[in-house]
Amino acid sequence: MLFVGIDIGGTFTDLALYDSEREELHVHKVRSTPDDPGRALVEGVSELCDRAGVGLGDVDGVLHGTTVATNAVLEHRGAPTGLVTTEGMRDVVHIGRHQRPQPYSVMQDIPWQSQPFVLREHRLGVAERIAPPAGEIVVELDEEAVRAAGRTLRDAGVEAVAVCFLFSYLNPEHEERAAAILAEEMPGAFISTSAGISPQFREFERFTTACMNAFVGPGIGNYLRGLGDALAKRGATSDLLVMRSNGGVASVQEAAQRPVTLMLSGPAAGVLGAQWAGGLLDRRRLISFDMGGTSTDIGLVTESGVHEASSRDTQIAGYPILVPMFDLQTIGAGGGSIARVDEAGAFVVGPRSAGADPGPACYGLGGTEATITDAHLVLGRIDPERFLGGEMRLNVDAAAAAIDALGAKLGMGRRETAEGILTLANASMARTIRSITIERGRDPRDFTLVAFGGAGPLHAADLASLLDVSQVLIPPHPGITSAAGLLTSDLRYDLMRTVFMREGDIDAEAINAQLDELAAELHKRLVRDGADPADIQTERLLECRYMGQGYELRIPVGTEGFAEPQLQRFHAVHEAEYGRAHPDPIEVVNLRVTATGRRPRLTRVKLGSGTLDDATLGEAPTAWRVDGELVELPTRHLLREQLPIDEPVASPAIIFQRDTTIVVPPGWSAVATAGGPLLLSAQPRSDNGGRRVR
Amino acid sequence: MSAAEQASRGSSATTVDPITVMVIGGALNSIAIDMGYRLARMSYSSIIRESEDFGCAICDSEGRQLCEATQSTPLQSGPIAGYLAGIERRFAELGDAWRPGDVVVHNHPYYGSSHQPDVAFCVPVFRDEELIGFSVTTAHHLDLGALTPGSCGIVNATDTFAEGLLLNAVRVEEAGERVESAWRIIADNTRIPRLVLGDMEAQVAAAKLGAARYAELVESFGLDAVRAASEHLMDHSERMLRNQIEKLPDGRYEAEGMIDGFLDHPDPTYRNLKIKVAVTVDGSDLHVDLDGTSPEVDLPINMPFVGTVDVAIYMTLRSLLLDTEHHDAVSTNSGLFRPIAISAPLGCLANPRFPAPTIARFCPGNIVADTLMRAMAQIIPERVAAGVGNLKVVAFSGAEDGAAWVYMDIIEGSYGGRRGKDGLDAVDTLYANTRNNPVEDIESHYPLRVTRYELRDEGAGAGRWRGGLGSIREFEFLADGGFSLEGDGNAIPPPGLFGGGPGRPGEVTMNPGTDAEEALPSKIPYRSVRKGEVLRLLAPCGGGYGDPAERDAAALGRDAADGIAMGSA
Repeated sequence: MLFVGIDIGGTFTDLALYDSEREELHVHKVRSTPDDPGRALVEGVSELCDRAGVGLGDVDGVLHGTTVATNAVLEHRGAPTGLVTTEGMRDVVHIGRHQRPQPYSVMQDIPWQSQPFVLREHRLGVAERIAPPAGEIVVELDEEAVRAAGRTLRDAGVEAVAVCFLFSYLNPEHEERAAAILAEEMPGAFISTSAGISPQFREFERFTTACMNAFVGPGIGNYLRGLGDALAKRGATSDLLVMRSNGGVASVQEAAQRPVTLMLSGPAAGVLGAQWAGGLLDRRRLISFDMGGTSTDIGLVTESGVHEASSRDTQIAGYPILVPMFDLQTIGAGGGSIARVDEAGAFVVGPRSAGADPGPACYGLGGTEATITDAHLVLGRIDPERFLGGEMRLNVDAAAAAIDALGAKLGMGRRETAEGILTLANASMARTIRSITIERGRDPRDFTLVAFGGAGPLHAADLASLLDVSQVLIPPHPGITSAAGLLTSDLRYDLMRTVFMREGDIDAEAINAQLDELAAELHKRLVRDGADPADIQTERLLECRYMGQGYELRIPVGTEGFAEPQLQRFHAVHEAEYGRAHPDPIEVVNLRVTATGRRPRLTRVKLGSGTLDDATLGEAPTAWRVDGELVELPTRHLLREQLPIDEPVASPAIIFQRDTTIVVPPGWSAVATAGGPLLLSAQPRSDNGGRRVR
Repeated sequence: MSAAEQASRGSSATTVDPITVMVIGGALNSIAIDMGYRLARMSYSSIIRESEDFGCAICDSEGRQLCEATQSTPLQSGPIAGYLAGIERRFAELGDAWRPGDVVVHNHPYYGSSHQPDVAFCVPVFRDEELIGFSVTTAHHLDLGALTPGSCGIVNATDTFAEGLLLNAVRVEEAGERVESAWRIIADNTRIPRLVLGDMEAQVAAAKLGAARYAELVESFGLDAVRAASEHLMDHSERMLRNQIEKLPDGRYEAEGMIDGFLDHPDPTYRNLKIKVAVTVDGSDLHVDLDGTSPEVDLPINMPFVGTVDVAIYMTLRSLLLDTEHHDAVSTNSGLFRPIAISAPLGCLANPRFPAPTIARFCPGNIVADTLMRAMAQIIPERVAAGVGNLKVVAFSGAEDGAAWVYMDIIEGSYGGRRGKDGLDAVDTLYANTRNNPVEDIESHYPLRVTRYELRDEGAGAGRWRGGLGSIREFEFLADGGFSLEGDGNAIPPPGLFGGGPGRPGEVTMNPGTDAEEALPSKIPYRSVRKGEVLRLLAPCGGGYGDPAERDAAALGRDAADGIAMGSA
C-alpha cells in the first residue's frame, strides 16, 4: 500500500511517501506557499509521486498535518462570529478569569478583550437555565428568543455561531435545541455547541473553545474541502485525513466540524515521528526533542503512549482551549534565537528570533545580532558549505563579527561567547525536560532523547549530558520526522462528559452506561470515517480528584467496566504525581473515552550505507569543552548516508545529513543501526567536566 | 562597565561567570514555578486552586528573596521576605533559632505578615549544620478563627485579636516530626478544618519540594557559586530598576486619593479617608512618602507597613517602570526594590500601631497603588492608567446537612484609560492578580446560583481612551445562609486623567428590583440571608484618559454597536 504524509510548516512543506510492500520511504521538501498553503501540498505530492514512479491514483491514503487553524487564531483571521448564551452570561468570554495575563504590566492587552472571537454586539443572551448536579432544567429555553437572535445575527452578516449555555456538560438538550433553531434561521451558517466540542466544566474555557471553533470553522472547512477537491482533480482517489492535537487523524468531515482540535496538528505529528523512530530500536520511553528555527517542542512518550496535557494547562495564542492535546512544551529557543546583553548587563538567549529574514548573521541577509546558528558556525559545528544540503552558503566572517561584538560587551572571547550561547540555550531546554520528568516522578535517565528538526541533532548530546541521559537517537530522516509521524497515525477520536460524583455516592451503573454511550458514539464516527469495526480499540478513563481539589488526575477503567473499588487506584496515582496521598473522599469529575481505529502504518525503512572510509569527508579543528576547559580538537567530518551499519564512530565527530547536522562531542560515540536511526551513546564517565544544570 | 566586570563585583569572594549566573537564575525560577504547580494542584479550596491567591519563593540564608513562582499573585509572593524577617524578630525575642527539620507557620501582621488570613509555611534549608536558605509558601486561608465565618468581611473587628488565630513563628514540624498539638490548635480554630488543613498540607509539601530542590542546586554548583550568582541576580534586578529611575526627571510629585472607609459609620472620621503620596526622584533613587494619610482607625482597614504598603508601592513602580509589555523580563528578588525607600508616619492608616486591626487592608492598599500611579502620571503619562476601580471580597457561608461551608468570592475591578488604549475591563487590579471562580464550580459546590455575570456597560470614565468597564455579579441564595463583605469604591469615583472623566463608583444591593431592595455600603459585617434573596455587586468603572472630545470615531462606533456608554466628563 502507498501512503503520503504532508506536514506544512511556515517555511517548508515536508512530504514523505511510504511503499509498505517495498519498505521504501521517499521524501521531499518544497517551499511553503503561505498565501495558499494547499498549493505547495498539491504540487509537492505530484512531484513526490513522479519521483517515486507511482500515480497519485495509486495512493491509498493522504495524511496531512497543518498549521492553517493555528495561524488563523494567531493572525486573528476568522469568520464574523456570533454567540448565543445563557441570559446574564454574554460577557463571560470577555471577563475570562479576571486575571491579567501579565502580573506586572499596566500597558498590556488581554487577548480575549483586545481580539475577541465574538464582538459584544454579536453576543446575545436567551432565557434558559440548567442546574447541577443532575442537569435539571430550572428555566425552559426561550425558543422564540433563540429564533430572534438567529435573525439578528443573520441580518448582521454573521457566518458562524457558538451556542454556549451554563452546565450544558450535564445536559446538552438546550444547546442542541438552540443549534437546531439557529440552523433554520441561518441557513449555511457554521454552528458549534459548547458541549458538542468539549463537555467539561469551567464556562470561560469551554465557551472560548466553542467560540474559537466557530471563528475558524468556515475557513478551515473551505480549506480542507478545497484541498480534497484539488487532490481529486490531480487524480487522487483516496481519502484525505488530517492530524489533530491528540495525535490521531480525523476525516475531513470530522476535522471540519471541530477545527479547534487541529491547533497542534504539526507538532503532534513530530512526537509520533519520534515514537516511530524509537520503536525502530524497541525504545518505549522517549523524550521527543524537536528544535527548529524559532522554537523547540518537547514531548514525552512512555509505555502508555504520548503524554497528554491536563486540560487545565492547554492554551493557544494565550486563549484557553479545552480539547485533548499532546503535552508539548514549547520553548522560544531555535537556531535563529538571538543572544544579547540586556539593558542591565545580563547575558540572555531568545526568545527573540532573527527568523528567516534577515535570519542569523551568517545568512548574510543583513542580520547583525549573534544567534544560536552563528555560535555553532563559529565553533566549527556547522559546515558553511553544507548548510541545507549546500543550498545556502554561510558567511563565517559575519557570524564571527556578531559573536565578537557580543563578546566585547561581556568581556569574553569568541569561543567562550559562542559556547556560552549554547550553554544557556541547553540549560533552558534541560530545565523544561526536568520539570516534565523528575517533577512528575520520572527519571530522565530511563529515557532516550529523540532529536530532530533542523537544530535538534546539533544540541542533543550536550543536552543529554546535562540530564544524565546516556542515549540519543536520531531518526532516519530528521528533517521530515513530522511527515513520517503522519504515516504512523491512527484514527483517534475522544469524547468526554463531566459528572461530579463523590465517593460513597457513586452510581457505577450510570458511569458504565455513559461510558458505553460515549464509546458507541465514537464507534459510529470511526466506522463512518472508514475504520474497520474489528480493529477499533477503546480506552476508558475517569478523571478524579480529592473532594475540594481543582485539578483532576486520570485513572483507567478496564474492559470489565467500572466498579467503585477501582476508585482506590486514585490514591496511588496521586502519590505518584505529587508525592503523597490523602485519606480523603474522592470525586469523579469527568468520564472520558478514546477510540482508535488502527490504520496500516510506516514500519521499517531501508537506508543506504557504506564504509567508514566512504563516509569520511575529512577533519577540521573544532572547539570542545573537556574537563572544564575549552580546547580545540581535530574533529572528523562524516556523511550520514555513507555510514556503515553497527560500526561505531569515535568522537569528536560531526556528521552531515541533507537537512541537519549531528554533533558527537567528546565522551560520546555514534553508530548507524540496521533499524534505521543513528544512535549516540555516552561513554561511561568519571566526569566529563561539562556544566551540570538543575 | 562590562557585564563581566559587573559580574566580578559581587560581595562574595567567589567569582562566577555570567553564563553560570544565568543558568543558576533560571534554575531558581524553575524551582519556584514547580512549587507553585504543586501547591495549586494539591490544594483544596477554590481560593488557592482556582483563584491562585498564593505565593512561592526561595530565599537566601539572610532571608532575601531570590525568585518567585510566576503563578503567584504579587500580594502573596511580594511579602515573603517580610514574613521571614518577622519570624527572625520573634525568634530573637524568644531566644530561639532555626533548626534543621523545622517547618514554621506564621501569619502575624505586626511581624511581617500581609494580613492574618495569609499564612506562610517556611522550611529552612540546611547543609550539615549551616543554614543556607529558605523555601516559603504563602496562601490565603478561608476561615481561621475570626468572629464570623470566613476570612474577609470581618469589618467589625476592633483589634488584631478579633481577626482570628494568630500564629507567630510556630513550629508545626520539629526535627522532621509533626507537632500534632500545633496542628490541633489550628484544626480546632477553623469552621472548615478539612479544607483549611488540606490547603496547609499542600503548602508544606510545596515548601519542602522547594527546599529539596534548592539543596540539590547548591549540591551541583557549590554554595559559593550559588551565593555569588544570587548576589549578581539581585544586583542585576536592582540595576534594571535604577536604570529606569535614572531616566526620570528629579523632583517631587504628589497626589491624593480617597477611600470610602465606613460609609454607614455615624462618626465622620471613619468616612472618606485620605491617602496621600509624595514621590521624590533623586538620581537613581526614588522615595515614596505617605505623610498626610489619614490616621489609623479601630476598624480593620489599616495596612501593615511591611507586607501591604511596601508591596503595593513596589509592585506598582515595577509595573510602571519595568512594564513587561515593553521591557526585558526582570527577576523578582530582594535586589529589585533596593532603589526604593518608603516612609509613613507611625499611627497613620499606612503605618498602624499594634494591635490596630488590618484584615481588610487590601481596600486602602489598592488606593495607595492607584494614588502612586497618579503621582507618577506627571512624569510618565505614557505609562499609566487613569483611576482604577477597586475590588470587593465576599465571604458566603452557611450550613448544609449540619456541615459548615464557607466560600470566598473576589469581585474584580477595572483599569482606567491609558495612552492609546482603553482601560482593561473587569480584571483584578494593581497589586492583586487572582482569578475568579467559575460559575459552574460555585454552583456545583455551594447552595448559590450566579444569575448574572456581565460587563457594566454604562459608566466608563469618558475620555479619548475611556475607562475599563466594571462587572455585574449577582448571587441568589438557594438556602438560608449569610455573608460578609469588604470592598471600597462605592462613594469615591475612580478619577479621570488629563481631561478624562471619572468612572462610575461601585454598588452593593440586596434584592434589586423587589420591594425589599436595599442599597448597602462597601463594608458589610456578617448578616444572615434567607433562601431566595439576591445579592448584586457592581464593580466601579475606570476613569477616562484625555479629552473625550478627541475620542476616535471608530472607537465611538464600536462602543455604540456594543452597547457601551461612557459617563459624562
